[in-house]
Amino acid sequence: MAKETNKPKIAFFDFACCEGCQLQVANLGETLVDLLGAVDLVEFREVMSEKWDKDYDVVFIEGSIGDHHAEERLKKIRERAKVLVAYGSCAALGGVNGMKNGFNIDEIRKYVYGDKYSYFDSTPTKAVDQVVKVDYYIYGCPVYLPEVVEVIKCILRGVQYSVPDKPVCAECKLNENGCLYDKGVVCLGPWTKAGCNSWCPNNGNICYGCRGLVSNPAKNAANDIIQKYNINDKIKDLGQDLMKKKLEMYNKAKEVINEPKK
Amino acid sequence: MSIKTENKLEVKESNWVYRKGKITATRMMTNTEKWFEIELSDGELGHEPGQFVQVEIFGVGEAPISICSSPTKKGRFELTVRNTGKVTEQIHRLSQGSDIYIRGPFGRPFPVKQMFGSDILFVAGGLGIAPLRSLINYVMDNRRDFGKVDILLGCKNPKEMLFSEDIEKWSKRMDINFACTVDRGDPDWKGNVGLITTLIPGVTLNTEQTYAVVVGPPVMYKFVIAELLKKNLSEKRIVLSLERHMKCGMGKCGHCQIDSPKNYYCCKDGPIFMYDEVKDSKKL
Amino acid sequence: MKYHILDKKNLDSFIKSLARRMKVVGPVKKSGKNYVFKEVKTADEMSLKYIPTILPPKKYLMPEREKILDLKFESDGIKEEAFIENEKIAIFGVHTCDLSGIQCLNIVFNDKPVDKNFLMRKENVFIVGLECNSYCDEYASCGLVNSYMPNGGFDLFFTDLGDKFIINVNTQDGEELVESLKLPPATPKEMSELDKLRDEKRKIFKNEINVDPHKIPQMFDKVYESKLWEEVGNKCLSCGNCTNVCPTCYCFDVDEKISLDMSSSERIRSWDSCQFETFAKVAGGENFRKERGLRQRHRVYRKFKFPQDKYNRFFCTGCGRCSRTCMAGINLKDILVKVAEESKI
Repeated sequence: MAKETNKPKIAFFDFACCEGCQLQVANLGETLVDLLGAVDLVEFREVMSEKWDKDYDVVFIEGSIGDHHAEERLKKIRERAKVLVAYGSCAALGGVNGMKNGFNIDEIRKYVYGDKYSYFDSTPTKAVDQVVKVDYYIYGCPVYLPEVVEVIKCILRGVQYSVPDKPVCAECKLNENGCLYDKGVVCLGPWTKAGCNSWCPNNGNICYGCRGLVSNPAKNAANDIIQKYNINDKIKDLGQDLMKKKLEMYNKAKEVINEPKK
Repeated sequence: MSIKTENKLEVKESNWVYRKGKITATRMMTNTEKWFEIELSDGELGHEPGQFVQVEIFGVGEAPISICSSPTKKGRFELTVRNTGKVTEQIHRLSQGSDIYIRGPFGRPFPVKQMFGSDILFVAGGLGIAPLRSLINYVMDNRRDFGKVDILLGCKNPKEMLFSEDIEKWSKRMDINFACTVDRGDPDWKGNVGLITTLIPGVTLNTEQTYAVVVGPPVMYKFVIAELLKKNLSEKRIVLSLERHMKCGMGKCGHCQIDSPKNYYCCKDGPIFMYDEVKDSKKL
Repeated sequence: MKYHILDKKNLDSFIKSLARRMKVVGPVKKSGKNYVFKEVKTADEMSLKYIPTILPPKKYLMPEREKILDLKFESDGIKEEAFIENEKIAIFGVHTCDLSGIQCLNIVFNDKPVDKNFLMRKENVFIVGLECNSYCDEYASCGLVNSYMPNGGFDLFFTDLGDKFIINVNTQDGEELVESLKLPPATPKEMSELDKLRDEKRKIFKNEINVDPHKIPQMFDKVYESKLWEEVGNKCLSCGNCTNVCPTCYCFDVDEKISLDMSSSERIRSWDSCQFETFAKVAGGENFRKERGLRQRHRVYRKFKFPQDKYNRFFCTGCGRCSRTCMAGINLKDILVKVAEESKI
């Protein structure tokens, strides 16, 4: 597969993640065939054993960064990559691994690794852009394939991709879904970046906020929403706190550590 | 363009089709501004000073760009493009000989006929010189139709000065008064240093017969207009070219609507406005 | 004006014969209080006692995503094709508020330069109105904007008279359909039943907020700088629900979708919203409506002030969708009451 051609050399790497976003690539179906016609896949642990020893044109990084070794490995990949894509919520946001950041790191290590915890390195979860410069972001847990294809087209032409900066509700409404708040459940759509075509609400599920917050989230809205909808009393008492906790499921890593690397 | 299936209907004379042209010359003017000269395959652009075109990069999108040449220049027109977004970044990659596709010209032009016989004070800041140049050169080519002409130019630093050849010419002409300034000078800079507003007190204005044509960023409008009003120039004699997010060019898509109690679309009712029309808008 | 009668038990055969001629869409229950316009083949798929659908029927005249140009990259340049993909469609059961909405869009898209895509789609739509004999719910304000009575904009208009519909025929197309189905003309008795129902309706539908609609444009002249907009803005989520569901909102974005092999591309027009953060932002970074309050003010002025100045009518149809759908509880009627109070007119 990894023969010398003029086509861009593409590689996938994974860090702390479930590898589900890479698996999504296999779900591309016919588009995958078109895609493989346009690029050379030179490294992709899930589907091939070959390694590439030259520079990469594009690398897709899946997963968040959770120990010193991972940071060093990521920096080395960055040095060899012309374009780096944070692929999936763990890479782009920190994702669910960010929940670790809500605890004392040593307590968490003890809980997971027992009394030999000191042999196992662990650092607060970082998104990829908290370690190296990121050129393209693909959010989602898992990534939304039509968006992946759009981003790849942008990369191949050297065009910027703008992640939609409006709430999921905008797409949900166009899909004519009944509002989930009508059913008395708490949905994170109003604060979460669109671009997934309201994938979860279309299937009757709430938005879990996997694509991260819009750039200017409505801070005061939670109480207004609770007031309008008949959200059940137990939840009502928790109010904004509950919404905040739900948001932390995917967004915790971004809240603690510094700005993206330029 | 035939109808392929029963459900597919041709849109005749669609507003969305492009005019094709060729780039006949380009030049990098600064690190971020590139100048293009374009010849359309269907003849003259047919614009008036102050109008703009939508430049299309296929597969990426369009960007509204003001026309910086005067219609008195025949056969070809000119654009100056600042690299500031994903479309303009791609426009910068075009070179001499490239095909280019545009829609337009769009928008209300400068009220040239209304200005015949009047004195004109041009005030341009930064990239504002681009749309203003279409009028300045028009006035130069029809110099006799106008009264006294003053040109005041300003930009951040000498490296960002656009149209240096034009500036050279204007500064040598005896039939106009020309002054320019930079916010911050450099060792080679011999001219004025200071904000453009500092040049205004030195201009003598006959307020009854002068039009001030001001083009620049929002912050410049605020201070320049205040200076002009201080000199008792009427709000109806201050002409502006506003920048907004112009998308369709037809007064429909809504993006460029001015934030004002009046109903103005910048792409259709502007980009040229008289100050009294848009003064309610908080940010010009 | 011609009136015909359709027995309710024959509604199904009416829909079926319409469906033989063209695609028929009608109000269908989705979940809870949510209804949507979608394709139907029979009458019983529809809910004719419905509150305004999630999206108004504008989706058939100005689709959420619509291809405006097909581009092919060939060696000698770019080939363009402009066409619409469209089929003959009947929208059944359109309330008077939504008829009014379609009329507003028709005004805007007839402004020069005309929007050919809209006008071509309009030619292919057969519209069957349906009268509301009483209010749908507390969000409606069709009394205020006077849109609760039929006022053109349909081919046929159905009014429920108990066990039958009385059908007002407004166009030649409508006439031909009614003739072909051999629907009997309305009797004088049935005509007087309709008159009686309309008289009753005038008692039911009242100005919901006690604000004189003729004075509303003047009021908006006074409240442009009001604190009210900031208060509304503080609640707003900028989700664009209010504009997406509005039957008279028509702002759009244009983007491009290129094929993976880069040999062709489509220019696509899609609905946009003045409530989105990036709507009025220019490439250089300046955002001309950065604050939510300014964006909400802009939306309301686009309903009650600008179209009054330009077309002498409101671009609010009283359907209540924006208030019904707002998760933060922003209510248009409340805003109008406050505008009236503050303007002191």
